[in-house]
Amino acid sequence: MARSDPPLFDPAKARGPRRKPDVGVAQTDAKTDRGAMSVSSLITRVKAALAQSFPKTVTVLGEISNCTLASSGHLYFSLKDANATIPCAMWRPQASRLKFTPENGLEVIVTGRVDVYEAQGKLQLYVNSLTPKGAGALELAFRQLKEKLQAKGLFEPGRKKPLPRFPRAIGVVTSPTGAAIRDIGRTLRRRWPGARVYLAPVAVQGDGSAEQVAAAIADLDAAAARLEIDTLIIGRGGGSLEDLWAFNEEAVARAIANARTPIISGVGHEVDVTIADMVADVRAATPTAAAELAVPDRAEIAARVGDLSARLTGGVNRLVDDGAEALRGVLRSVVFRDPTWRLRSATQRMDELSIRLPGGLKDRLAAARRRLEPAANHLAALHPARLAERAGALLGRLTGRLAWALGGPAKRQGDRLAAALTRLQAVHPRHQLDLARQRVLSAQRQLEALSYRGTLKRGFSVTRSATGELLRSAGQIQSGDRLETELTDGRIVSVVDGGPIGPQRRRRKRADAPAQGGLFDPPSDTDTQPPA
Amino acid sequence: MAKQKPTFEEALTELEEIVEAIEEGDVPLEKSIEKYADGIKLIKQCRTILDQAEKKIQLLSKGADGHLAAEGNLPEDAQED
Repeated sequence: MARSDPPLFDPAKARGPRRKPDVGVAQTDAKTDRGAMSVSSLITRVKAALAQSFPKTVTVLGEISNCTLASSGHLYFSLKDANATIPCAMWRPQASRLKFTPENGLEVIVTGRVDVYEAQGKLQLYVNSLTPKGAGALELAFRQLKEKLQAKGLFEPGRKKPLPRFPRAIGVVTSPTGAAIRDIGRTLRRRWPGARVYLAPVAVQGDGSAEQVAAAIADLDAAAARLEIDTLIIGRGGGSLEDLWAFNEEAVARAIANARTPIISGVGHEVDVTIADMVADVRAATPTAAAELAVPDRAEIAARVGDLSARLTGGVNRLVDDGAEALRGVLRSVVFRDPTWRLRSATQRMDELSIRLPGGLKDRLAAARRRLEPAANHLAALHPARLAERAGALLGRLTGRLAWALGGPAKRQGDRLAAALTRLQAVHPRHQLDLARQRVLSAQRQLEALSYRGTLKRGFSVTRSATGELLRSAGQIQSGDRLETELTDGRIVSVVDGGPIGPQRRRRKRADAPAQGGLFDPPSDTDTQPPA
Repeated sequence: MAKQKPTFEEALTELEEIVEAIEEGDVPLEKSIEKYADGIKLIKQCRTILDQAEKKIQLLSKGADGHLAAEGNLPEDAQED
């Protein structure tokens, strides 16, 4: 539609300066041409003739072309078929009530009055009603608005807002006297009575109902934060397409699309699908269904809370039971069942070590002796007695020379020499040797105290095999072996009667046979079992 | 949103988390007893909300200042229910 291109029949334009008629008749003087009439009177007579011979209203089928909606609100178009065209005008009061948008190429049935448009002397159809051929006007309007909103993306799934699971307050836009509010109220009370319900009462059919519904949606949306409204329900009960029409109006569709609060639409019955249903975030088949979608079922949720409650208690009880069981397990372990076990094994280990220790000591004693021998020889060479002999000889010679050389002074020197000789006696090597001997003897006594023989004196014994091998493990002997046991004051020779039974063997058996359920059985159980 | 008064959804979500944590066993025993107490409190809150008295439908009307205001309760339909 080219609104900038003024139509040929615009009455506004007709009010402008007229072109001079180029017919010869008009230029002649009215007085000289008595038979001539004015253009106006001609048109008037044509109009009168038309009115007489034509019915007051005609109904015409044709195709719309050159369709223009003027800014004045008047609608201008041509109605045509294969061979003919007639200009049509539809004034604003009628044009504004059209539900659908007249489009070029649309086949329509037009009812109106045929008349002459004086300004242009043209035949024109003054249209009272315009309906699409085939489909009804509302169906067409529905299809047109649907296409328009679809093109604008108002039905996109991505636009849909999720509903809260547990709404605190619900705003309802419907009639305060209709069946819908009763159904919605009853359903909300039954399923989720904790939610507050606010009703914005509106007319849901008739003139202005769409505007009321749209305004109520905008109002509730604006008050949503204040009233804690987190879900809106719009709807009405069933009715004819005309009854439901408000929910097919663009104003309502826009209000729904603009709202920030999620909206559930429940209009009419299952079969009715309105534009509002398509724009809404959730479409419900009926008002009751809308209420069901808006809130959860209390019974269902109560059962869930009950289940969670049972699981909570069960979970904690199980944790406590597990803890108690773990504690019992620890108490059953050998550490608590036989606290001295570790101590005993430590004692045994100590005994083993104390038996092995003397052997090592003996070796070290022998080594020490070997090192001591050369040192003692060396010491003999440096015997102080011999050193003193040599020093004495030297002194004699020196004394002789001195006496001879000095005479008097020698006397003093002789006295000092005598004193030196006395001190030399005190450090006589024999005296030093005695001291050294005493220290060696005391070291030897200490070594003997550490030797295993000392251990034997404390009551322990050493057992050797017939070959003289020190016995450290029960596994070294077999039944019938001869053993030699050394005690502090003698030796005992004995013969082994029975197989080796040692602690190693018992421990391995425990680890190997858990399936017998005897993991923590008292040791006496295994002890009494016959050897495998 | 006021912290001391969780919505039903918040309470239920927290309760579910507590139950799962305890069931998974990834909470130390002492802590789980604490959480158990929290859980019991949440269950009480949930049940209170569930047991709340029925709410009437409030009729709204637009005041002179353009604000929506409660006008009264919609009369209950006696023959319903």
